[in-house]
Amino acid sequence: MANDVAILGRSTHVRGRVTGAASVEIAGRVDGEVDVSGDVTVEAGGLVSANVTGRRLVIRGAIKGDLNGSESIALEDGAKVVGDVRAPRIAIAQGALLRGYVQTANGGSAPRAKATTASRGAVPPPRASTPKHVEHKREVEKPKAAAPAHKAKAPPPPVVPALKKGAKGARRVGAIAGMSKKR
Amino acid sequence: MASTVIGAGITIDGEITTDEDVVVEGTIRGKLTAKDSVSIEAGAVVEADVIGGPLTVAGTVTGNITSSDRVDLQGGAKVIGNVKATRITIADGAQFKGNVDMDV
Repeated sequence: MANDVAILGRSTHVRGRVTGAASVEIAGRVDGEVDVSGDVTVEAGGLVSANVTGRRLVIRGAIKGDLNGSESIALEDGAKVVGDVRAPRIAIAQGALLRGYVQTANGGSAPRAKATTASRGAVPPPRASTPKHVEHKREVEKPKAAAPAHKAKAPPPPVVPALKKGAKGARRVGAIAGMSKKR
Repeated sequence: MASTVIGAGITIDGEITTDEDVVVEGTIRGKLTAKDSVSIEAGAVVEADVIGGPLTVAGTVTGNITSSDRVDLQGGAKVIGNVKATRITIADGAQFKGNVDMDV
């Protein structure tokens, strides 16, 4: 794999598709789809104006198109992405800009991804209604905060009517348990 | 090291324009325009017109080659197309079918 790398330098401009079973490093410009089975790195100053598909994607440049990673996607400082991002594991670093829909592994099969990405696995459905409001990484944190709140509110009501007198203690315990779950 | 490398296993369908050195080990279909040297390594497949500076070919090229400098077809090279350059060398073992234009 080490040798199978395509490097598109700073002044290199490709108009067309880039495909293959190798890795690609893009520091120049690509006006066309990038679809490889290896890793894709878009360096600072690199620009891809179409979909990018690969195993592990590391983005420090600009993308106007969807990102699909079979393993992971990392948007690093300086990345500017306008498009959807899908991969089992996604990392968005401070300083990365993103406008688009984000989806981590389906069914929460993400293998102990960073806590944030794992908890986001369950989130997409509610977000589907507002995919275009996604401004950048900050909004990613909103559903994280909102999701546990919903869970905490939902369980108590059915419990309360069932146990009346002895319920006080149970409620408190439940409340405390709920609190600790929140954290 | 060249700053643009089309590695083995990579296929580009389209047009490539660059100011840098280019090394091709993979497949290109379309057009390759470089201002500096272009090296088409053994195993590379270029089905495209190639325009560049000093050009070395050890792989397969189907298309016209234009160089502002020289073109070297090395042993093992296979070229089908016209070659236009100020100087051209064809090594023993290179296959070549096409016209040569050396601005005589």
